[in-house]
Amino acid sequence: MLSVQGVGEGPISVASGAGRQLLFTIRDIGTVTSKLKTSRYVGVRGPYGTSWPWKEYDEIVAVAGGIGIPPIRSLIEEMNGAGRGKDIEVLYGARTPSDLVYKKELKDWSKSIEVHLTVDRGEGEWNGDVGFVPTLLKKVRLSKNAAVFVIGPPLMMLNTVKEALSIGFKADRIYLSLERRMECGIGVCGHCNVGEFYVCEDGPIFNYSRVKEQRELFL
Amino acid sequence: MNYLLSKDEMDAAFHSISMDFKCYGAVEREGEVVFDRVNSFGGISEERSRYAPKEFLISRNEDVLVLGTQDRKAVFGVKSCDLKGFYIMDRQILGKDPFYTEKRRNTLFANFVCNEPCDGGFCSSFGGPVLDEYDLQILREGEMYHVMVSEKYDGYFSSFQREDSSYFTSFKEEFNRKAEPLQVEGVEDRMKWDSKLWKEYASRCISCGACNFSCPTCYCFDLYDEGGERKREWDSCILGGFTSSSAGNIRNGLDERLRQRFYHKFVYFKRSKDTYLCTGCDRCVEDCPVDIDIKEVITHDYSGE
Repeated sequence: MLSVQGVGEGPISVASGAGRQLLFTIRDIGTVTSKLKTSRYVGVRGPYGTSWPWKEYDEIVAVAGGIGIPPIRSLIEEMNGAGRGKDIEVLYGARTPSDLVYKKELKDWSKSIEVHLTVDRGEGEWNGDVGFVPTLLKKVRLSKNAAVFVIGPPLMMLNTVKEALSIGFKADRIYLSLERRMECGIGVCGHCNVGEFYVCEDGPIFNYSRVKEQRELFL
Repeated sequence: MNYLLSKDEMDAAFHSISMDFKCYGAVEREGEVVFDRVNSFGGISEERSRYAPKEFLISRNEDVLVLGTQDRKAVFGVKSCDLKGFYIMDRQILGKDPFYTEKRRNTLFANFVCNEPCDGGFCSSFGGPVLDEYDLQILREGEMYHVMVSEKYDGYFSSFQREDSSYFTSFKEEFNRKAEPLQVEGVEDRMKWDSKLWKEYASRCISCGACNFSCPTCYCFDLYDEGGERKREWDSCILGGFTSSSAGNIRNGLDERLRQRFYHKFVYFKRSKDTYLCTGCDRCVEDCPVDIDIKEVITHDYSGE
């Protein structure tokens, strides 16, 4: 949780790998985030909840939409740090080329790992893919036994899961990072409930098989 | 252990407890029964308090940046429906919420067991009015008091006359015969996501949140900054903004929020904590300005819809 005293707190994920200087990538979208950039001091509380279980799998497909990319940045740094940079493929999409975050990192990552990008609407000098993120799944070179880590807007996650399952990825190897209003971070305040789960404590990263029956899984 | 005490002996036991605890009791103030400081056993009301004693453990509003030391408190005259709420909330928040946890460990609650079922209340549907978990349970029979005390507080009573638990057992059987418990078991399987109840309730509900505030098991709260303080304040899942975030609002509809309230109580909490998030106190029914009755959620014929 990041906070600006006198303004409030918000749940923000860590964009850097373990053991490195803490890095946060924040979109100015609400009351707290609008003040973060001008505040001299920022409060940090946490970390809370679950993380990507990359150590349990030989291959990882990371699928991110929009502002969902920072936790994937953290994942890549972690895996690189462990000498496992080759075991991941990254699929990332945003609305327009200018909405893509981490342009420098994307170039750096591309040197050593497969990074597939797409935008909903091409503009300017964009000559890459145009289309929604799930369409990139067909380009993945890793095997269908790979774990699929999905993070992004609800509709993007829903369609990514559908597509991943339809082309042969396994439901119990798909992980979703859910976003909800999270206030306390310790499974008490009740704002982030999805069925019997507290997203802040039991998640935010869930195995798809564990939550797929939840009626309020996608907004 | 179980004991049988006279009125004078209860006074003596109260006195020895008051040496170690700040004592509170249900007392009548300006026509309402509320909790306030008491210095003798005799003045404590046997009537149920106007509001559940939730505030002893969860403040309506407090600064969460400072965890002060908590006084040891003994609260007399709590009714089993309200008291059971703490044992239910414990399963989700004890040990996690430091404020609740500190206060919980420093507070003794004395259950004044109701002699008769009350109008509307249905505590016997959830294991009341004699509870399996307790600090102290007091059941008056005329001028005598049957007392059931946990091991932790047994020292305050060990010099009095012991008795076996048969009085409480037969009392509970008789109470249940009179109260006719609802068929709660299995409600988690009977309830229907698309039941017409939710829309019907939504057509009446005015989103006031009284049901949450009066409930002895509702523990949700809001966190916000005010000046130099970060505050926690009771919150209500019925209010429109409860789940709104920059990603959207999962429960825009009032019918969805009402369904969430009842699913949390009878489906989700049962799945995750193996108990229902309801004690049968009937407070939400009494305080609801549009007469939404939680008993109907339990007894409704979902399969007939």
